[in-house]
Amino acid sequence: MLMVAPALLHASLWIGLPVLAAVVLAFTKYDVLTAPQFVGLDNFRDMLDDAVFRKSIVNTVVYTFFTVPFGMLLGLLLAMALHTGLKARGIFRTAVFLPQVTATVAIALVWLWIYNPGNGLFNALLSFIGIDGPAWLSSTSWAMPSVILVGIWQGIGMKMLIYLAALQSLPRELYEAASVDGASKVRQFFSITLPLLKPATFFVLITSMISAFQSFDQIYILTDGGPANSTTMMTYEIYKSAFREFRVGYACAQSLVLFVLLMGFTLVNRRIMGGTRGHS
Amino acid sequence: MELNRRSLLAAIGAGTAAALTGCGTGTGTSAAGSADGPAEGEITLLTPIYEGAKGKKLLEGDILGGFRKKYPDVKVNVDYTTYDQLNEKITTGLAGGLLPDVLMMGVGWIPPFAAKGAIAELPEKLAETHDYEKRVLEPSRHDGKLYALPVVLDTRIVVYRKDHFAEAGIRKTPANWSELRAVAKQLTTKGRVGFDPFSINLRQCWETFLFANGGQLFSADGKKPLFTDARGVESLQFFKDLVADGSADYSRKTDTGAPSNVQTGQGSMMMTTSALWVQVKEQNPELIEQDKLGAFVLANRRPAMLQGGTLVSQSASSKHPAAARALVEWLATPESILGAAQQRGSVPGLRDLSDTPYVKENQFVDLSLKNLQHAVSEGGTAAWMEIREKIVPTLEPAIVGDQSAKDAIAELGRLAEAAIGRM
Repeated sequence: MLMVAPALLHASLWIGLPVLAAVVLAFTKYDVLTAPQFVGLDNFRDMLDDAVFRKSIVNTVVYTFFTVPFGMLLGLLLAMALHTGLKARGIFRTAVFLPQVTATVAIALVWLWIYNPGNGLFNALLSFIGIDGPAWLSSTSWAMPSVILVGIWQGIGMKMLIYLAALQSLPRELYEAASVDGASKVRQFFSITLPLLKPATFFVLITSMISAFQSFDQIYILTDGGPANSTTMMTYEIYKSAFREFRVGYACAQSLVLFVLLMGFTLVNRRIMGGTRGHS
Repeated sequence: MELNRRSLLAAIGAGTAAALTGCGTGTGTSAAGSADGPAEGEITLLTPIYEGAKGKKLLEGDILGGFRKKYPDVKVNVDYTTYDQLNEKITTGLAGGLLPDVLMMGVGWIPPFAAKGAIAELPEKLAETHDYEKRVLEPSRHDGKLYALPVVLDTRIVVYRKDHFAEAGIRKTPANWSELRAVAKQLTTKGRVGFDPFSINLRQCWETFLFANGGQLFSADGKKPLFTDARGVESLQFFKDLVADGSADYSRKTDTGAPSNVQTGQGSMMMTTSALWVQVKEQNPELIEQDKLGAFVLANRRPAMLQGGTLVSQSASSKHPAAARALVEWLATPESILGAAQQRGSVPGLRDLSDTPYVKENQFVDLSLKNLQHAVSEGGTAAWMEIREKIVPTLEPAIVGDQSAKDAIAELGRLAEAAIGRM
């Protein structure tokens, strides 16, 4: 007990207490200026009437639906490419991982320029082939795909790294046996690599999903949730409620909904994929 | 103290919030921090203006340099922020019991903070220290009491290209919306919008149109939204009409600080602030030298100019109220105001400064000062901090989407009523 006391104290203070505070405050009206008042389920009722928050849930799911699978697929392909005897693979690995360790604010500012309708990179490239590019971030049709592209690009590094580590730990003898049996590379991938990567895939899926649900920085810098709420996300609405509207109690209730959603998705995934257990 | 469910929850909520930040609970609730006694101690100033290296030099060198000479026992720490992040700074400051001693805020922010006792009431005599334009002090008041002093004003006006007008044979600026719409249509060509109302914040733009249409935001007591009537709907519908005409384009709005559409010639008229003059001087001085820019006050049922700006107030929980009060007064002296206005291209709200070379040289500031009788400000309710955040997300779908102006305004009215009801 004495040995775990420091960890227990740390977890209680920095995880337990904030979670408890968030849960308690979710049932209060609290504006930071005055003491919280118990309001029962009022915050949750308000949420049902909050069209923008509902829209943010849909946007978050759409964002996750596109960034996670595409990011995972690209991450796996890159990991496999870098797992081969490619020359200068250290440089490639670093290049792919770089967006992950660069401040999102800096990245978002670069993308802001890339998407600039007047003198941005994308529209300049499109103009070479005679296409008048759209206003990427001001158009309700293009803003979300633009944000998704940034999300995919930024998340690939971590996914690649995890897949690469998993690939490097796969037993070589299975591939040798498969080769002796005449299995093609494609067959080896689907019958050996993919099943053995299941625990890594589950881990990547869950962490990517949580990360996608918590996307904030790029929305804050790139679109401010607009145009017409087409890119607003749950975390961005939580931030607005707490820090711009001074509705801390409501923000805590929104956070609780986010938590429940994430927990639900994780449990469903666990049931479908069998968790982190290896292929039997 | 009787322990009941409410007090227990308050204690848990405030206690956990305080524990999270490692500090005490929010502000005290005293309406006015006593400023008796000598001005001394270490205080903090939170400011969303005095931007960049020039602003920092102006504040810490010139303005606070003079303050230090007069009050050698006061040390001022400056916390710079932007208007976008000012709320965060204040929220975290309040939660952590570390609210800066002196706060610079926007127009409309005083009633919400005064109503909650976060800022201190100022003595009425401060309103008479300088020769303020009459309406300039209105946003500094709550329930008739003075809570802040104005530092700079930022007005919303229409700037136009005189050369575009001349080419199209247009001899006078639009006097109402029918004329504005017709002129915008006439000036629109391939690659050029006749009117760009969208390169300023949509909230402030719509408010200017609402006021010009004879509408109001809230009732005098701040408890009822009044913008839900036909005038509010017409104001939003006007944007939709412009977009439908092709003479305004939401996707062609420019970012703050970037060359605006009237500067690049991609727009003939635009809603903007008086600060555009300084930007043009830096980026396209030839437009001023060749007298290609003009400005006018938006009008329909009445002329109206939204008056925003920055006010300075004193925290009610300052541990050094005398020092904080001294700094509030210092930041609102004519010298400090003129410096801040020059640096940002803003309007100084003192009559004493209306004949200065700065005002005479900056035509947009001069126009604003001459039309202060038409100035109207946003806010006016204790629920403003919440409502102001709802305006853009609620109105934008009507402009770029299929929602009708009537539905968007009705939705905004419902949100405003709910926010006021929670107060």
